[in-house]
Amino acid sequence: MSRRLSARKRILLVEIPVLAILAFALAPFLWMLLTSVKPTSDLSVFPVRYWPSRFTLEHYAMLLQRTSFAGNLLNSFIIACGAVLVGLVTSVPAAYAFSRFRFGGRRLLMTGFLVINMFPIVLLIIPLFVLMRNLGLIDTFIGVIIGHSTFSIPFSIWMLVSYFNAIPRELDEAATIDGASRLQTIRLVILPLVMPGLVTTAIYVFITSWNEYLFAMMLSGQTVRPVTVALQLFIGEFTVQWGLLTAGGALIALPVAILFLLVQRRIVGGLTSGAVKA
Amino acid sequence: MNHATVRAATPYGFLLPALVLTALVILYPVVQTVWYSVQDYILYAPDDARFVGFRNYAAALRDEVFWISLGHSAVWVGGIVFAQLALGLATALLLNQSFWWRGLARALVIIPWALPSVIIGLMWTWIYDYNTGVLNDILIRMGVISQPFPWLASPATALGCVMLALVWQGFPFFAVMILAGLQTVPRELYEAAEIDGATAFRQFVHITAPGIAGIVATAVLLRIIWVANSLDVILVMTGGGPGYATHTLPLYAFLRAYSGMEFGSAAALALLLTVMLLAIVWLYVTRQARELDA
Amino acid sequence: MTKGTKGPDGSRLKPAEIGTLGRRTFLQLAGASALAGGLARPAHAQAQTTVRWWYHYDNPQNTPAALVAQFEAANPGIKIQAEAIPWGGGTDYINRMFSSVVAGNQPDCAMVRLSYLSRFAQMKALEPLDGMLAKWDAKSDISDDVWKLNRAPDGKQYYMPLHYVVIYLYYRQDLFEQAGLQPPKTFDEFLGAAKALTKDGMFGYGMRGGAGAHDNWGPFVLGGGGSFEKGGLLTEKALAANRWFIELATKHKVVPPSAPTDAFRQIVDSFKAGRTGMTIHHIGSAAEVVGALGDKASAVPLPRAADGGGWTYFGDESNAIFSASKNKEAAFRWISFLSSGEANVEQAKLSGQLPITTSGVKSWTGHPKRFVDASFASLPIARTLPDSVKTPDFVGRVLPTNMQRALTGEINPDDLMKAVDQLFNG
Repeated sequence: MSRRLSARKRILLVEIPVLAILAFALAPFLWMLLTSVKPTSDLSVFPVRYWPSRFTLEHYAMLLQRTSFAGNLLNSFIIACGAVLVGLVTSVPAAYAFSRFRFGGRRLLMTGFLVINMFPIVLLIIPLFVLMRNLGLIDTFIGVIIGHSTFSIPFSIWMLVSYFNAIPRELDEAATIDGASRLQTIRLVILPLVMPGLVTTAIYVFITSWNEYLFAMMLSGQTVRPVTVALQLFIGEFTVQWGLLTAGGALIALPVAILFLLVQRRIVGGLTSGAVKA
Repeated sequence: MNHATVRAATPYGFLLPALVLTALVILYPVVQTVWYSVQDYILYAPDDARFVGFRNYAAALRDEVFWISLGHSAVWVGGIVFAQLALGLATALLLNQSFWWRGLARALVIIPWALPSVIIGLMWTWIYDYNTGVLNDILIRMGVISQPFPWLASPATALGCVMLALVWQGFPFFAVMILAGLQTVPRELYEAAEIDGATAFRQFVHITAPGIAGIVATAVLLRIIWVANSLDVILVMTGGGPGYATHTLPLYAFLRAYSGMEFGSAAALALLLTVMLLAIVWLYVTRQARELDA
Repeated sequence: MTKGTKGPDGSRLKPAEIGTLGRRTFLQLAGASALAGGLARPAHAQAQTTVRWWYHYDNPQNTPAALVAQFEAANPGIKIQAEAIPWGGGTDYINRMFSSVVAGNQPDCAMVRLSYLSRFAQMKALEPLDGMLAKWDAKSDISDDVWKLNRAPDGKQYYMPLHYVVIYLYYRQDLFEQAGLQPPKTFDEFLGAAKALTKDGMFGYGMRGGAGAHDNWGPFVLGGGGSFEKGGLLTEKALAANRWFIELATKHKVVPPSAPTDAFRQIVDSFKAGRTGMTIHHIGSAAEVVGALGDKASAVPLPRAADGGGWTYFGDESNAIFSASKNKEAAFRWISFLSSGEANVEQAKLSGQLPITTSGVKSWTGHPKRFVDASFASLPIARTLPDSVKTPDFVGRVLPTNMQRALTGEINPDDLMKAVDQLFNG
């Protein structure tokens, strides 16, 4: 909504509610951050100790120096980027086809993509493991990337279809009348308009892959171990390494937040009002 | 090949990469799992597996725990998706307003969604802890309660407490999806409404809501499927307990599959959930098809 | 290095196995033939044998790298590829292992638990070690009792004991002294002490009703006369023992209200925070407890029933060699290295548990002495859970779920016993 609110009204109606929502979103995270800079002896005490008795970065130092966490972060980054790439390259054409063509089996295929995704992955994991093993993809980046991008394909297609549908078809027709080929229309007219949806979908695939544990646990070994699996190593049978775990949590969440800070303009800036007038 | 054939084949060509990948990676395990569901397949005794027809399904329907879990699944999906949507919608509308720290707020709000489930589960378990949890401590300090309360160990509160953690984790998803959806609503419509003197509420009802309805509906549908199948946070926080208090269908299927290694029964349990979700999807698809294909 | 009989495609086949070629073996064969190309390498590659070993340690900072280096220096030609697998409450580790066996991608050897022995045996996944053990000179450094505990129902030895823990009773020395109490030796004294310590928001006994509940339930119910034989949990004596145990929470209220879902972390944290006076765990948490409470905390064996009966859980950890391994000799050298002498002591330090060797235990300084003593004093009543394919389901689902329902009053305590009996004997 473009209406400009007066400064007081804006603070009251927008900024204070946003602060309240942020407080809800961040409180558990801040509690985690605070825990990550406490010495271990502050953790299980009664009554609860809110402020650390002293601030310490020892958990972070330990995490980065004595465990393989930095390498695991890099692995996660490679896997998530790969999943976004493979996911979008396969989903965008599919979503375009569902949105712009009418063809036999369209509804069936679209539903099919969803149905196949409705089964809990935990129960698929053993056949999946056997399959990946026979393809020789265990403990390879390709294996994990293919898995993660495939799990996100149904979602990506469906989400992108609704973003494509939101763009008036008259635009395609106008471009075709102007003599543009189909690929030119997609590249020059549709993709720029669907950019917010594209970026949003990319974020979804990235975050889903970044957080995925079960498949990565089964499919990765020492070579491509991502952070979620590394993190699980801090939760032993008899001890939880709270310091390492919370420091790890902070280091996992921050790159995503920074990434989002960088791309969020894309989500809002993509659609120009001029284009819609056409 | 003539022009018409190429035209007819084009959409299938566009679909090919996604179809190939899905068929390659998911189709085989799904078919395999469906096949398990009609056998008395036990992972540690694979050679003894026999075809039993629909006996696993019949057993599930006679199982008291199946019905308890189904009820919890309904509460779980309904409650979480509704709360996530409400909170996510409010967040998206607010973050679509302009104020100087908007970019930062947008980046920060995504954090719960950016954390792995295992951390979320452990952090929230710790927050709810009877002795060393902050929730009891804060409530006692505020004078709301005089004794600590066992949030996760009481059958009456356990499910709600786990659901709150999931609402927290997932509302940024709706916020981001809807925020992107809001950008597709043409700005001119608001300008025109402004000139007509429409109130903010009327603008929302007549312009914003219809403008984002399609995307919200899709997001809700996808979220229902995701939430219905999600069990890692429950697993970390309560393991399904106390008793059956936080058993949902996938969790029950998981316990049967990995504790008992009864893959046949577990697959049948999960497939029953899939069939129910399928009904929701079919409702949606036929409704949507009427609008789109018209 | 002997390599076992090989089938024509390079996979290991015994004539007996060919007749019963089931789905599992078929999958393994399919996997093996897929690999066959990779295995048919020139001779020089065979000079180096790589042994894949899966392990889990609680502390991710502890790595077996030094042990591996030491072993490789003493055994040129063998390379150890050690891989940490997330424990994930036990489920992840086990799932990964069983999936690998199904897919034919299992390591050569791995850390394993007794409760899964029956399931492994049913899959014929493990290699009997008896032949190799007979030639192993350090075998006598591990006590006969331990070998007996680890023996499979078919009389063979599949497990190489590695380290262990025994469940005992942690108690607050200082509070016991203040109240003029002795550490409890019988169930009655235990209840008396728990009642005396329950005051001012503190509870006498930090009961574990969540994951791992069996190590709290067993001492009182199995120690009180229950057994897993048919009907053994349904005798009047067993039912009474179970009722008494559940009533600690429902009637006497000497356990925190959070007990139904409290798992090891909650019971240890509450004890460390001074919110419970006694709790049941093992030496694995001694370092943590001492770190928080110092000399205020000590440990004794679990109390016994009036008739002298007692039971405590023997927490085992062993190594096993998979029958599909092509490097069994090398794998045995590695796991026997880990279970002998200095290496076993080092290994126990990494895992935070007790060395398995008699010689290693004598000089053991990894934990304060009072906890080591309590562990040893508990050995006479230390037992394992039944050797049954149902045991993991008992531990992971049937006992915790039904015990929680009994604790929250949803079912009668006797129904819990019926459910467990049904699982094993139904």
